Amino acid sequence: MLSITKTIALYGLEGFLVDVQVDISSGMPSWNIVGLPDASVKEAQERIKTAIKNSGYELFSRKIVINLAPATIRKEGSMFDLPIAIGILRSLDIINNPNLENTIFIGELSLNGNLNPISGALPICIEAKKLGIKRIIMPKQNQQEASILSGVEIIGAYDLSQVVYYLNGNIKIQSIKTNWEEYLKKRKAYALDFSEVKGQENVKRAIEIAAAGSHNCVLIGSPRLWQNYDSTKNTNYFARTYF
Amino acid sequence: MIAQRIPTILPELTFEEALEITKIHSIAGILKENNQIITTRPFRHPHHTISAISLVGGGKTPKPGEISLAHYGVLFLDELLEFNKHTLELLRGPLEDGDITINRVNGTLTYPCKFMFVTSMNPCPCGYYGSNDKECICTPQAISKYMAKISGPLLDRIDIQIEVNSVKYEKLESKELPETSEQIKKRVNEARKIQQERYKQEKIYSNSSLTPRLIEKYCKIDNNCKALLEVAFKKLGLSARAYGRILKVARTIADLSKSENIQKAHIAEAIQYRNLDKKYGK
Repeated sequence: MLSITKTIALYGLEGFLVDVQVDISSGMPSWNIVGLPDASVKEAQERIKTAIKNSGYELFSRKIVINLAPATIRKEGSMFDLPIAIGILRSLDIINNPNLENTIFIGELSLNGNLNPISGALPICIEAKKLGIKRIIMPKQNQQEASILSGVEIIGAYDLSQVVYYLNGNIKIQSIKTNWEEYLKKRKAYALDFSEVKGQENVKRAIEIAAAGSHNCVLIGSPRLWQNYDSTKNTNYFARTYF
Repeated sequence: MIAQRIPTILPELTFEEALEITKIHSIAGILKENNQIITTRPFRHPHHTISAISLVGGGKTPKPGEISLAHYGVLFLDELLEFNKHTLELLRGPLEDGDITINRVNGTLTYPCKFMFVTSMNPCPCGYYGSNDKECICTPQAISKYMAKISGPLLDRIDIQIEVNSVKYEKLESKELPETSEQIKKRVNEARKIQQERYKQEKIYSNSSLTPRLIEKYCKIDNNCKALLEVAFKKLGLSARAYGRILKVARTIADLSKSENIQKAHIAEAIQYRNLDKKYGK
């Protein structure tokens, strides 16, 4: 049976929609992945098969063909693991959810079925929002960076079976939102401060101007000039070990 | 060290800026698990052994380099002249354009890199050329050979050039407490707000991104200032690029003093930040 699951691939800072088409039929058992995958996507085979097995679903010996469309652009990275696994489980009728038109999946699988974080989650979500996607299912570890966006539902999951239960309607996962103003408040203070630098008023003034207008600046001076003042604060740089 | 304290006075990030920085850091895969959204301006300080590719970005499918990771923040190169000359010259385009386009076999990518370039260097091999407290022992040839490691066009792209002199003993002993970062940051923030308000239509965030056309529009000066600039140009032998840079810095100084127009004093202060032109006659 054929299933089409959506995901987004990144090309630099831009993203494009990828249809993960999975067809499972009877025939000589095989696994074929086409659509210009690179080595990391081809490797996905072992991860996905084992993750599905270890999540408690049976993957019988079948003929599996996976196409990543559009087939003209090279696909890179491990974030296709989750959409391919979801595609397979949909083809096997383990997931019954017809409303996945506006949902995309991203995430890397580990052998025990857990979802591992990927790089580039935020740009993917920004592009998804532009393309009119309503819901994004991703690894739990990535959800905070994505949750700063408004207008898309961000669902973070720990493992493959949790995603399956969620899609089948057995459990609910609350989407999270991060408020920018609130998040700013949690910021840590700097260990250094300009009040520790004595004298050098002209340099401080120049740095202030540079910072205000984002100007480039060069400091020209004799050696060892700059290090003199922080001896008291240097201890901040050393890691302390407590027993 | 003063440069390490720059992040403490950088203006607050706007939400749009934070989003753009987080995007780049996310692609590079360097976001920390407990701090997934960037809330402070990045401060990147690569060692001088850095390779050209890791500075500007690259790879089979190009990844962002240090200059893109420093987007909307600071790229600090300590001991500028120790860097590979070829590596440094790669900064010319990005410093001017604010983005970098990388062409590789797998495609062409553009990453933004509007960073504030901060660097430190010694004036000569022994380090005391022009110093008040110690005699410089370098020959003129040694000094010019030393300075030849960095090209004029690159130095020209640096708006503010400051000479750092040693601190007098009385200052080190004085009980008077210098200004805290918070006080400085407050002024910086106010000046940056004025700029963001002024450039709302232009899609730029700060004075340093002004293009020649915009300089004409926003950095109008009166005849008094023009006369002063003329004298400075003749005396210092400044380039056309330096002219724009002086006006941009003067604009920022005016913003810091909340003055709507650029005044003579602002121009004068901006001119004195062209130290290198004076010192080496470049």
